Formats: sequence, structure tokens, C-alpha cells
Amino acid sequence: MEAQKSGEKFVVPIGPQHPALKEPGHFEFTVDGEIVTGASVRLGYVHRGIEKGTEDRTWTQNIYLLERICGICSHVHATAYVLGVEKLAGVSAPPRAQAIRTVTAELERIHSHLLWLGVAAHEGGFDTLFMYSWRDRETVMDLLELISGNRVHYSANVLGGVKFDLDVDKMDAIRRGLDFLEERTHHYMKVVTTDETFLARTRGVGLMTREQAETLGAVGPTARASGVQRDIRIDAPYAAYPDFPVQLITDSGGDLLARFVVRLKELFECYRVIRAILDQIPEGELTTRVPRRIPAGETISRVEAPRGELFYYIKSNGGEKPERIKVRTPSLCNWGTVVSVAVGHKLADMPMLLAGIDPCFSCNDRMVRVNRDQSSQLWSWEDLRQYGIKYYR
Amino acid sequence: MDSQTALQTAEKLLEPYGMEMIRQDDLRLDVLLSPDQLHEAVKALHDARWGYLSAIAGVDHPAPCEDAVASGGIDQEKKGQVEVLYVFCQGAAVLTLRVKVPYTRAELPTVCDVIPSATLYERELMEMFGVEIRGTPVKDRLLLPDEWPEGVYPLRKTTMIGTACSSSKDEV
Amino acid sequence: MANLKLDSNWQRILEKIRTWARVNSPWAIHFNSGSCNGCDIEILATLTPRYDVERFGIKLQGSPRHADVLICTGPVTLQARDRLIRIYEQMPEPKFVIAVGSCGLSGGVFHGCYNVVGSIDEVLPVNVYVPGCPPRPEAIIYGVVQLLNSLKSGVPKVEAVTALAGKQEA
Repeated sequence: MEAQKSGEKFVVPIGPQHPALKEPGHFEFTVDGEIVTGASVRLGYVHRGIEKGTEDRTWTQNIYLLERICGICSHVHATAYVLGVEKLAGVSAPPRAQAIRTVTAELERIHSHLLWLGVAAHEGGFDTLFMYSWRDRETVMDLLELISGNRVHYSANVLGGVKFDLDVDKMDAIRRGLDFLEERTHHYMKVVTTDETFLARTRGVGLMTREQAETLGAVGPTARASGVQRDIRIDAPYAAYPDFPVQLITDSGGDLLARFVVRLKELFECYRVIRAILDQIPEGELTTRVPRRIPAGETISRVEAPRGELFYYIKSNGGEKPERIKVRTPSLCNWGTVVSVAVGHKLADMPMLLAGIDPCFSCNDRMVRVNRDQSSQLWSWEDLRQYGIKYYR
Repeated sequence: MDSQTALQTAEKLLEPYGMEMIRQDDLRLDVLLSPDQLHEAVKALHDARWGYLSAIAGVDHPAPCEDAVASGGIDQEKKGQVEVLYVFCQGAAVLTLRVKVPYTRAELPTVCDVIPSATLYERELMEMFGVEIRGTPVKDRLLLPDEWPEGVYPLRKTTMIGTACSSSKDEV
Repeated sequence: MANLKLDSNWQRILEKIRTWARVNSPWAIHFNSGSCNGCDIEILATLTPRYDVERFGIKLQGSPRHADVLICTGPVTLQARDRLIRIYEQMPEPKFVIAVGSCGLSGGVFHGCYNVVGSIDEVLPVNVYVPGCPPRPEAIIYGVVQLLNSLKSGVPKVEAVTALAGKQEA
């Protein structure tokens, strides 16, 4: 795992770990003085073996498994999956169900972006912003709980439709919640774009040109912040997006600041789209029948998760269980960008840089290996985070 | 460029390489390639700036049951194949390059020289399906733990695995 | 619009925590052994203004060496298992483990998947189980309260240590 090319390096694990611990760090940075000269990534702490697991569960059971790939964007996973299976079955969920799926998806995007705002702020030491954004996020958590019964893993989808309806009272509650959040988002936009300490850690940092973003395969807000015009809701609209289109939000800055601005602007677009759907929600059924055995075939389902394009490949052999399901999460695309962009930056910028792609922060216990001159140290994420905060003080 | 034009352009670009082209539906085109044609086909798409690589998916095709049983399991090793899908997207149009390699010669060329971001997908394919990718820049495991046994490819159908820690806690 | 008021049952429980915390201030460490993050974000939510668990002296911090309580989520992937054991070993006595979420109890939806061990108690002795997928922040705080209550009535320390010895591989 260490950069074997550099010859004289040897591994000396130092830090609050057992001396004999041989630990694959999530990230490995090689530094020359303060500047990062090499970076690599090793995933796998959260690898559970889900794709294999899907082959052993029925089509319906898989909804519950796939939702739990990620607790932050569970609904988009379920949505991508059911849309794909419905395609194979040759059915279409009724319009009201698609509308409810879309409202839930946009509410999820709101919760995800606010969560990210807090976490990214926390990485930079801006804990007040973290507390405020997570407090405000409780509003959208309440709304999700109101409509679905759970704060996380709302489980809105069934094959062929949705489980719950939105009556007039719930729609009013959603509207009131959105009004509050919209006002708060204006405030966050102001902080992010005018606070000097914040700008010092984000403006010009992590610069990625449009060409780099495209070559490196970036997706989602990370790519759009570098001017890449890619959003599955617009490129290949699904669910209710054909009837309730969203605007493309991009920024030409390409730096960390741009990534903050894009996500905040996307929040405004979420509020607008949800209101538009609620005002004109189609009447009708919530589900349509889907057979227990799904006809043989293959399909590809792409949706826009809060982090970017989520890709599902689903193959049926005509039975009660899938033959193969392949899931490519947006974070996998974006890791590559970090590893490339990190080079040339200061080690102190790494926490914010990584936060900038909105990774699934699978453990706040990520280990980082830092290679400097001839030593190699194992740092905890907290070490790296504190390092960044102190550097910029 | 609308999806129909995009797919027609793709067909023309890949004509020299494709063994077979199948329009799966009005938004999806599949192109079957032999392993030697893969790299050139990917390069052609890249040079023409057709879409972006969205995913590389492996699909296992184990030997048919009757053969496997009749041969006492030996044929499984000889007759199984891994199919690899390289999925490119341009707007709503989805183009899938499909390559099949037999277990006995499970090798493909890298596409990382053309599309650097493919490295993570290639690493995942190698460890999950046991396909050797020649020339790929990083061969470290991406998802599986270091102590995972060599030669055990989780996503092959022939690999039956229970919970990681069953009755014997010493087994992995 | 953000609702910070809690009902009166909660007020009583919170009073109890406040009293206890004045005497013992548990420091906790959080570890994710491979979960989807659902439980982790609800644990983090307990720190935020609506639940604000820190005002009761329960402090979430980063070092195992200063921790009394390990709050663990996830179905324990193979990669995470060794690290989890290491962290537990670094904690000073007396130490306690709270398993949060269905995955920590039984593997949850991932039961049977090839890269997971399953329940946290296959790896460590667990004192408190908080079920849910994920459990609400209130439920997590309640789990912590259950632990604190059991400490007040006296949990034999020896049990915790020998339980781990029994589970360690030969």
C-alpha cells in the first residue's frame, strides 16, 4: 500500500494506536514538507457484501437491503431499484406515486445537503455553523417522519408504487417547514460567501477545472461546481421530473467555495420543486400490481442522488430473486477526483477537501497514513482535522 | 444532441469494432466486442467525446449445471465465463460495451490510459470476479480485506459464502 | 419552527441524567463498524441543540484512552473487527459497550452477507442494546440512561473482563 517507488520509505506506525497494529489507512498522503505530493485511497471498511446478498433475497426483500447501503440517501437507492424492476416488469407506478417518490427524494436531498453543510463546517472547525445547520435540519427530519413514520430509512417505496399518501394537512406542514428552511438557507448562503475565516479555507482551495472534472469522472454537485453540466434529473428525467423539471445549478469557480454555493443553491431549487409538486399533485392510485417473478431481462437505472449519479444494473432470470444487481454509488466516482486534486495542496487542506466531495463519511474513525521523508505515521481523522484547524488559526 | 442521434453516432463510431450491435430499447444500445477490440473501442468513444464512463459491471456466467454435475465440478472451471459491461452515458442514451472472457483466460486490457477514473472500477472487478486487468495502474484491493483468501472471488456464482463468522471464529 | 421543547416524561428522565452526571461524567467514544451511517447520524444528532446530550456531562470525544463508554454501530465488517477490538483494549477499566441499531444486535438486514461478522456481541461484551433502524436520538439517550442506572445499582466489573476473555480467539 505504501508508495513502493520511493525506495527509502519504511513504515513506523506512531500515534494513539497499539505499536504492533498493522492498519490499512483509508487514505494515504505522501508529503514533502507541508505539501502533498501523493495520495491514494483504500475503501472497504463499510464493505458488507451487499451485491452478493441481493442474489439471495426476493425482489421485495431487496428494497430493505438496498435502502441500507446508505442511511443518508436511502430513498434514492430504493427509488433507483424499484424504477429498474418496474421497467423489467413492464409496469409504471401511478403518477401520484411518482410524485410522492419525488417529493420524498427532494426532502432527502435537503436533509443530505444540510447534513453535509454541518459536517463540512465541522471539518474546518466552524462548529457554530455545524450546530445551526443540524438544528435546522431537524425541521426536515420532522417532515420526513410525519409523512413516513421514520426519521431515517423512510421506506417510501414498494414495487409498483409508494406506501403512504400525502393529505392536505401533511402538505401544509411541508410548506411551512420549507418556508422556514428557505429563510435559513439565505442566511447560510450569506455566511458561506462573506465570512472571512470561512472564505480563507474555501476560496481557491481544491481547484478542479471543468476538464479535470470530466476526465476524473466527477459527478453531482462536485462536478457541477466545476461547470460540468450533468444532472440525471435533467439529462434523463425519471419519476415525476418529466412533469416537474428542475433547473441545472452550476458554478464556474471549481473550488471548495463553489461546492458550497452549488449545494446551497440546489436547496432553493428543492424548495421550489416540492412546492410545485404539492400544488399540482396528480390524483389517483398509490400502487400498481407487480408480479412476484420478474420477467427475464436486464435494465439500467440511473437517478440523481444528493451526491451525484447513482447507477443500478439489474438482471433478472425470470425468478423470484435477482440474478445480479450492480450498484455504483456517486461517491466512488468522486474519490478519484480527491486523490488527484489533493496533490499540490497543503496537508492542512485535506479535511476540507475531502469534505468537499460529500463522501459517505462511513466512519468518523477514518485512519490516515501520512508519509513524510522517511517515516510513515498513522493519524486518526481527528488528528488531521485538528491539524488543519491549527494551521489556519 | 438528442438520444437517438447520440446512439446513431455511437453505432457509426463502433462499427469497425463491434461483433454485434443490439438496440435493447429506444434509449439503450449494446455492442458486443471481443477482448482485443475493447481498448480501441473505448478510445474511439473517448476521442469523439461521446458521453462518459458511468460504471464497469461484471456479470458471472457459470457453466451450465448439467455440465458441471456431469463432470464432477471440473467443467465449472473450464466453461464458466465472466461478462464485463462498460457502460457509457450521453444524456439519456446508454451505450454498453459487452466483453466476455472465459475463467480459463480471464484477462482484459486496462482502459485507464484513456479514462484515468476507471482505476477504482477495475480494482473492484479484479477482486470480485477474478479478471486480470493488464496494465491497470493500481492493483491493490479496494474493498476486500487483506486477509481475504486469494482466488476466492465473491461475486462468482460458484463462490458460496456464509456469514463471515459462523460457528468457528477462527475461519474468515 | 425548529422544535426544542420535549414532553414532561422526558423532563423527568433528563433530571435523572443531570443528577447522575454531576457525580459521574461519562466520556464516550463512538465507533462505526461498517454501518450505513443511519445510526451514526442519529448519534451525532444527540449532540445538536434539540437533544443536546452534552449538557448532562456525557461527552463524545475521540480517544479510547479517556473513554468510559464505547458506543458502537454497524454489523462489524471484517476490516472493522480488529480495529474495534483494539479500541476496546485501549479503554481503561471500568468500561462499557452500547450497541446501537439492528445491525449491532444481529447484523440487521446484512445478516448472512460475506463481509460481516454480524452482531457486535460476537466480538465484544455488550452492556446495552438499543434496537431500531435507526433508533431515534431519544432511544439512544435512553440506552445511555439505562447503562447509567445499572451502574448506580452496581454492575460487577469482573463480568465485563471475563466476557471478553471468553470471546477472544485461541
